Parts: sequence; C-alpha cells; structure tokens
Amino acid sequence: MSKKSGLRTWLTSDRAFNVALVSFLLVFVIIIIFLLASMATFTNWATFWSNVVSRETLFAIRLSVITASIATILGMVIAVPVAYAISQFKFPGKDVVDSLLDLPIILSPVAVGTALLIFFSTPVGGFINNNILRFTFSVPGIVTAQVAVVTALAIRLLKSTFDSIDPRYEQVARTLGCTKSRAFYKISLPLARNGLMAAAILTWARAVGEFGAAVMLAGATPMKTETLPIAIYLAMSTANVGQAIAIIFILIIIALLALFLMRKLTHRGYPL
Amino acid sequence: MKNWFPSKNKWRELLCTGLIALLLVAASCTSTTTTTTSSAAITTTTAPVTTATNKSINVFAGSASQPPLLDAAQIFEQKNNIKVNFTFGGSGTVLSQMLLAKSGDLYIPGSPDYLIKAQAQGVVAANDNGTLLAYLVPAILVQKGNPKNIQSLSDLLRPDVTVGIANPASVCVGLYAIEILDKNGLLDKLEQAGTVKTYATSCENTATLIALKSVDAVIGWSVFASWNPDTTDVVYLKGSEIPRLAYIPAAISTFAQDKVSAQKFIDFLASKDGQAIFSKYGYQVSESEAKKFAPASTVGGVYNLPTGFTTLVK
Repeated sequence: MSKKSGLRTWLTSDRAFNVALVSFLLVFVIIIIFLLASMATFTNWATFWSNVVSRETLFAIRLSVITASIATILGMVIAVPVAYAISQFKFPGKDVVDSLLDLPIILSPVAVGTALLIFFSTPVGGFINNNILRFTFSVPGIVTAQVAVVTALAIRLLKSTFDSIDPRYEQVARTLGCTKSRAFYKISLPLARNGLMAAAILTWARAVGEFGAAVMLAGATPMKTETLPIAIYLAMSTANVGQAIAIIFILIIIALLALFLMRKLTHRGYPL
Repeated sequence: MKNWFPSKNKWRELLCTGLIALLLVAASCTSTTTTTTSSAAITTTTAPVTTATNKSINVFAGSASQPPLLDAAQIFEQKNNIKVNFTFGGSGTVLSQMLLAKSGDLYIPGSPDYLIKAQAQGVVAANDNGTLLAYLVPAILVQKGNPKNIQSLSDLLRPDVTVGIANPASVCVGLYAIEILDKNGLLDKLEQAGTVKTYATSCENTATLIALKSVDAVIGWSVFASWNPDTTDVVYLKGSEIPRLAYIPAAISTFAQDKVSAQKFIDFLASKDGQAIFSKYGYQVSESEAKKFAPASTVGGVYNLPTGFTTLVK
C-alpha cells in the first residue's frame, strides 16, 4: 500500500470527517471566547462593577424585563390561536397567508418601528396617541414595538408545535363527545406544553433584545425608554465603552439563564 | 454520547483537530483587511460619483450641516477627483466613533463646543481651532402653520404642548437648548411641566420630530425650517434669550491619512462657491448676518451642563 493511497483512504474515512467537524466547532467557540475576552480588555473590575449597579443600568434591567414579559404574554395570546388556525385549517391560498405571516420576521425591525411611528402620525393614529394612550416616545411604545416584532416569531414556533401533534388524538376526543374548543383545551394545549414553553422563553429573549423597532417608536431617552439594548446604544454615543460592556455582559447572563431554563423545563420528550 | 474517537491514535487526531482549527483561525485573521472605519456607523452616506477616483477622504460630521455638505461634496468630487465619504450623526456620537476606530480625516461638528471636546480627547490638534464654515442660530421649530400657536419659550411649558429636545450629552443643539433654558430660568419649570417627551439622537433626528409631527415643538437650529420647508415653521427667539450663537467648524483630525485632500475640501467649503451652497440652504455665512438674530450674544465659548442635571423627560 503506497503512502499516497493510504492518505487518501484516511481523508475519506469517518475519523477524518469527525476531525473536520470538530475543528469547525472549535473555531466557532474560539471566536466567541475571543469576542468576550476582547471586551474584558477594555475595562477593569472596578469600573465594570460600578457600571453594573449604576442607577441607569438597574433602571434598564427593570424596564427590559417588565416590557419583555408584557410583550411575551400579549404575543403568545395572539400567536396561539393564529398558529392553531394555520395548522388546522386548509383553505385556498394557505401558502400565501403562510408566507405573509413570516413577513415580520424577515422584515427589518427598523422598518416595523418606522411604520408604527408613521401610523401614529396619521389622523387616526394621532387621535389614539393623544386621547387614548400615548404610544410614541413612551413605555407602551416599547411594548408595542416588541409585540410587533416577536409575535410573528411566536406564530412560526407554535405552528411547528401544533403541526407535530397527531390530529388523531383530537379526532378521538371529538368522537367521544368533545366540542372543538373542549378538545383544544383538554387535548391539544396540554400536548403542546413543551412547545408552548419553549416558544414563550424564546419570544421573551427576543423581546429583551429588541432594538430597531423600539428606538424608532419609543426613542432613546435616558431613564425613560432606556431598555438594555438602547442603553448600550446611548452609552456608545457618548463613548462610555465601560458602561456598554457592562450591559453586554448583563444581556449575556440573561440569555444564558433563558437558554438554561428552556433546557430544564422542556427536557422531557422535547428534543432540542 | 458516542465516543467519536474510536481509534487508539486519538492523540494524533486531537493534534490534527487542533492544527486545523488554528489554521482556520489564522486564515480568517490574515484575510480581513485592517480598515476599522465606522463599523458602528449610524448613517453613512456617499455622495454619488461619476468619475473613477483613487483618492478619498472620510468626513465625520454632526448632521447639523448634512444638506450643504452633501451638495458640496458632489461638486468637489467632480472638480478634484477625490471621493468624499460621510458619517453623519450626533456631534458627540461621531466623535466617539472616530475615537474608538482611531480613524477619520475631517471632523465637522455642529458647534465649537464639540471641537473643544475633540481637542481634549486628542482627535484634533490642540492648536487647531478649525475653519469656520457657517453660523447657526438656535430657535424654536414648530409644525407648519404653528397649530398650537407657540410664540415663545414660556409656551413650551403649556400642558397642551409636547416638546422634543436633542440629547445634550451627544448632540450640539441639545447642549445649546439646555443652556438657553438654564439662562432664562426655565430649566426646573420645564422639568416640572413634563412637556418634554423625548431626546433626539442627532440634529436630523430633532428636525424629523417636527416633520413627522411627533411633537409640537423642538428647540433646534433655525435652518431646520429650510431643510423641511413644507412641514416646519420657525419661531425665532428674542435676541436677549440667546446667550451664545454657534458656528460649524471644520478641522483635520489627528488620525487623517490624506491631509492634503482633507485641506482641499475645507478650502472648497470656505470658498465663495462653498459658502454659496451654505447660503442656499438658509445658513448664515457671516457674523453680521447671524448677529441680526441676537446682537448681544457671544460666539463660541463653553457651556457645561449644570451639576446634578439628569433629564428633563418625565
């Protein structure tokens, strides 16, 4: 066996394939670690800690958590029936509607936020804004922007959840006398529990990170509409790199907590 | 988890993996070019160019001078074959970008306050006070037709009026707005009145607040009305209410790569042709023109935010 064909055999072998795969995984992990380490070189522990506990940062954390939670509840309330409907019903043009529902996910959040801001400048929107509830440059505006962006994501996640439930369970329930709504509440929703929780947590994480739509509709006003991503933006616009880094690390911790929670709550039977 | 190294030669394969990973990292590092300009740019606009150029300058400018600068760059490029790349934003924001990226040929903030900050941070040479391009007069801007009939600063305290101000920490005109309110004794009253709804992030942003009818009034530069004549009206302040007038300085930065081309652009902006472009957009190009609005005001100097000042927005 010549050396050349031996090398060729090894290159196409299973082990070589594994080696290549793991190398790519290693590179990706190394890049992430490098990014984190490079941020650490821009600050020291004292500045970092004082930025984390500063009044502005604590305000941003509180605002982000509250607005994201409200946005997630509203988003899920809208997404569950819409996703169920799209999953259940067959109608002409279903593909078109399906694609339309995906549109807000693909559309840049800045576009969504700008569209909302323009809406509230029209006569109808202006009336709502001035007389019912103020949406522009306010906290309800942040929630609105977040809902607009995350609902489409929630619909997409929940549709695959509902698609994965065998319709026969519901059909059997109907033959045993359940109405359609009773079958939904007693059979489909409990079966979709894991998917619902995963969708809720991912939606919440996405809402926390929302920037483009929020900054368009609610503005970047310190100590008023300052969510965590907007706080990073404000810090960088005054060259306060230490503050920006502190907030980035807080966001990383929140993201890790969300992912950890998702794994813990859905490990029973939901492959992730 | 399946053991993916089934052979006894696992150390050799571990070594291979490490080497390939290192090679990939090294390859990606050397292939990236080292231009670190404006990766966090808020708005980057390039004036359209018809001729092929190999010289270019990067201008970081407060958006207070955006419309005339874009026009001027177009003419300059055709005459001199030098491409002009702009990064617009709040004067403080673009200064931070220059500082972090350590790049940029020209800094053109919306007021001399920011030139002084640039000198303090080493972005502009300490002995370089820049070239004066045009003057700026602070004023109240309102929606076309002035539907809320706002005639003076005290009208901004009315409960039926919504007000917008530029962020004083990062935008030239924001600082001047706070100064005017402070020197006229209205700062605390305005905070209590709660009519200020938002801080805009740049001069353009401040002007857009009126153009989109998001607020009833902003304190900005009088030229905003020339930018959007269909949607904006200007309410001039009394001369005695304006402590300082501002001007637009242009300075070559310490990070400049092509100082000759940068100086050429400054010279063009200060020339008769360049000044005509500023006039066309409603800017005051001579001190006497500007002083007509505020005869007793000074030009230049420094104003620091009062200690303990946090925010006007409720």
